[in-house]
Amino acid sequence: MPKKKAKNRPEIENKTEGTISRRSVLKIGAAAGAAGVLAPKMLTSNEALGFQTIPEPDVRCVNTVPATPSPAHHPFLDEFTAPFPADDHPLNPQPTEFPNLGAGEADRAPHQRWAQFAPAHFTYDMSAQVGLHRFHSDYTDSYIWGFNGKYPAPTVFGKYGKSGIVRFRNNLPTFTTTFGRNEMTIHLHNGHHGSESDGFAGDFFGTGFWKDNLYPNCYAGLDAFGGNGDPKEKMGSFWFHDHRAEFTLNNNVLGMNGMYIVYDQTDPGHEFPSAGSLQLPGFYGVTDFPLILTDKRFCAPTATNPRTEMVNAAGGDKWICNGKIQPALTVRRRKYRFRILNTGPTQSYDITLIKPDGSVGTMTVIATDANFLEHPIPVDAGANAGNSNSTTAPIVPGAIRVSVAERWDVIIDFAEFPAGSRLYLRENRSMFVGNPSPVPLPPGLNIENVLLQFNVVNREPWFPPDTPPIPATLCTYPTLPATDNTWEWQFVLVGGRFRVKRPFDTVGCVFDPDHSAHCILRGTTEEWLINNNIASGWLHPVHIHFEEGRTLKRFVNGVEVPVPPLHSGRRDVYRMEAGQGALIKMQFRDYNGRYLIHCHNMAHEDNFMMVRWDICPDQASLDACIADQQVCELEMKAKESFRDEEVA
Amino acid sequence: MERRELLGRVFEPHPASPGASRYTNAVLRTQNNETVKFYDDLIRGKQCVVNFMYAECHGSCPAVTQTLKTIYRELKDRMNKDLFFYSITTKPEDDTPAALKHYAETRNADLPGWLFLTGSQYDIETIRVRLFGMDHPGLDGDLTLHSSYLRIINDARNSWGMAQAFASNRNILKRIAWQDPPKSYAERVVEARARQIIIEQEVKKYGYRRDIMS
Repeated sequence: MPKKKAKNRPEIENKTEGTISRRSVLKIGAAAGAAGVLAPKMLTSNEALGFQTIPEPDVRCVNTVPATPSPAHHPFLDEFTAPFPADDHPLNPQPTEFPNLGAGEADRAPHQRWAQFAPAHFTYDMSAQVGLHRFHSDYTDSYIWGFNGKYPAPTVFGKYGKSGIVRFRNNLPTFTTTFGRNEMTIHLHNGHHGSESDGFAGDFFGTGFWKDNLYPNCYAGLDAFGGNGDPKEKMGSFWFHDHRAEFTLNNNVLGMNGMYIVYDQTDPGHEFPSAGSLQLPGFYGVTDFPLILTDKRFCAPTATNPRTEMVNAAGGDKWICNGKIQPALTVRRRKYRFRILNTGPTQSYDITLIKPDGSVGTMTVIATDANFLEHPIPVDAGANAGNSNSTTAPIVPGAIRVSVAERWDVIIDFAEFPAGSRLYLRENRSMFVGNPSPVPLPPGLNIENVLLQFNVVNREPWFPPDTPPIPATLCTYPTLPATDNTWEWQFVLVGGRFRVKRPFDTVGCVFDPDHSAHCILRGTTEEWLINNNIASGWLHPVHIHFEEGRTLKRFVNGVEVPVPPLHSGRRDVYRMEAGQGALIKMQFRDYNGRYLIHCHNMAHEDNFMMVRWDICPDQASLDACIADQQVCELEMKAKESFRDEEVA
Repeated sequence: MERRELLGRVFEPHPASPGASRYTNAVLRTQNNETVKFYDDLIRGKQCVVNFMYAECHGSCPAVTQTLKTIYRELKDRMNKDLFFYSITTKPEDDTPAALKHYAETRNADLPGWLFLTGSQYDIETIRVRLFGMDHPGLDGDLTLHSSYLRIINDARNSWGMAQAFASNRNILKRIAWQDPPKSYAERVVEARARQIIIEQEVKKYGYRRDIMS
């Protein structure tokens, strides 16, 4: 032990427990070279383990009205990169079927199908903790909450047939001055797994606890097909994010989300010819990139706070691509795959590819919400302009409209562009840039609209050669069995209050973690009519946990319209603009438990636009559930009877 | 200092609490005609439930008052100690302290820890937008819309949540509990163990975790 230096003690003593104020850090910095200056301080466990202690923001960076613009930045300074792959390593203690309460695991139901899927082939450790991330080279670091301290979180990889366990640890600060809430429950969007691993919004756990989520990486249809399920149910681009009720927006703005990619034979994660492979661009981080979009607002550093803090804003003025503002990517003259994901928290993107001459380029959509389309759909402003994904609202020609939580896997072919040309991804809204573009932009394109720049170069000999043309058929969808039951959800605004209403409800339900609003017998197939009954411009990207659905019909104000081609695939997020509806069909199978349907606009889900539905294993359990399913409405109805007559 | 501790809880705000800059220190009057400062006397370091109403309201207000009364009964042990209800009138020109007193008494809601507040129209409007603003001009301008929202504030933890007064009472109680003062790790372990026993009983009985007991 170093000797205690008495003269240093007064400086150290007025600290709050476990944190060092920035002031003292500066002081310590000023006394650089004074070895052992920290020695008299009692080390916290983090410091003792050698982790960096990042002070909580002591200046609250608040959303002002009118909003103060974020600091200016210089476009295209940073490189667009894929998030680092997560590290697969053994877990200690070993995962168990029942929660290991003694070792700090949070309470949960025992893992379903444990005997079938344990021990897991892949195990990952994801610690939600404080981190620093630089969103742009012009900026200083920002305080974030990220998995393993990173934003975006390290990408988790899975493989069909090889189950995985991700241990989510809550190492968030017990004391925080940010807008986040240090409790979490992690949802894998949209995995086929038991509800104890699903990140149910009411199952959050506090700091110091951890929870093992068992992701079997199986195809749906385990009960009917046996083994690993029906390969026609294959999915690819998942993402995981915090789902804490009431604080989903805050925690996601702070950075608690990441990609989860699952490969199988048709999409094996490489481009070499192999049995069953579609040979799509598939080297992660080389020719296959997640494109994680979010918008944020920042406060400039101040005299007392050298960091660029994030504002708790539902909509920002900086578009972020994989954690960087207006980055640039050097692409070779070949095909690339981008897994576009909008992590929100609330805004939609209309993304177009702008060619060097200013015209709109072709993006070929191969998958929607992690599911391959049966046939790829090219989208551009010319011959394929009809492939828009909007049913009513005017949309930018050639744009793909990405609502919150939707994933769009697109392939862009750069082979036709000469080396030295530059292409751009354009977003229809404008961000605040504050500096002109360093290079001349194509005619008609403003720097405020640019998301991402592509610099085309010739392919070097060491770079993987181009993949064969995109196959005309990517997959065949499974045949759906006959419908057993129909159900309807209406997304409504009752007197300024977001609610989810069933047709027989008079007032509707709000999120109640203890009561189910709909009970389903395991193994049945249902048709759900989802309706956005709000006439006045509210958009609801409706997300259904657990199962992928097939859109049978789309409606606008009750009138059936053709299903837009880009919405004809299997999905788990259904974009509902005002007055729109969709009839979808889903199977509920393999697992029991509590799941959710909610609006994925995170401001709306935090404001109760979310209800729970249950899959029950047998008739007795179903009856018990149905007896309970009126509760959310009955109590509200009883209270509404207190309304005598409305007097304005 | 010692005397304050003897008297009971010391209300300390969270260091990051925006304090009066968000909640304002508007001077309000209670139904007992006492003068209070909104942040310093009512919010600072405390946990509270705030709603808006007015005495002559025949729409949702009676239902909300009735709900709060039921909730009050459930939380009786904590009321007026570290938990408070504040019902603020949106029509201060009609609702004098005497009128609010009459309103509270006729509804058996004149209870310790539950204040009915009036003040200047400007102050009340400011508080309403600060607590319930949705950044939506149409909704924020409509006085009737926020009548059935309950804003749950815990200044000691610098967190706030919300409940809809028309949701089930248990739902509202749960949401108030979500803003309770943070518990120690040991307490949370004890709770987790208690819940685990119920979960496993439910899984045995129903085949999955139903959470009907929690």
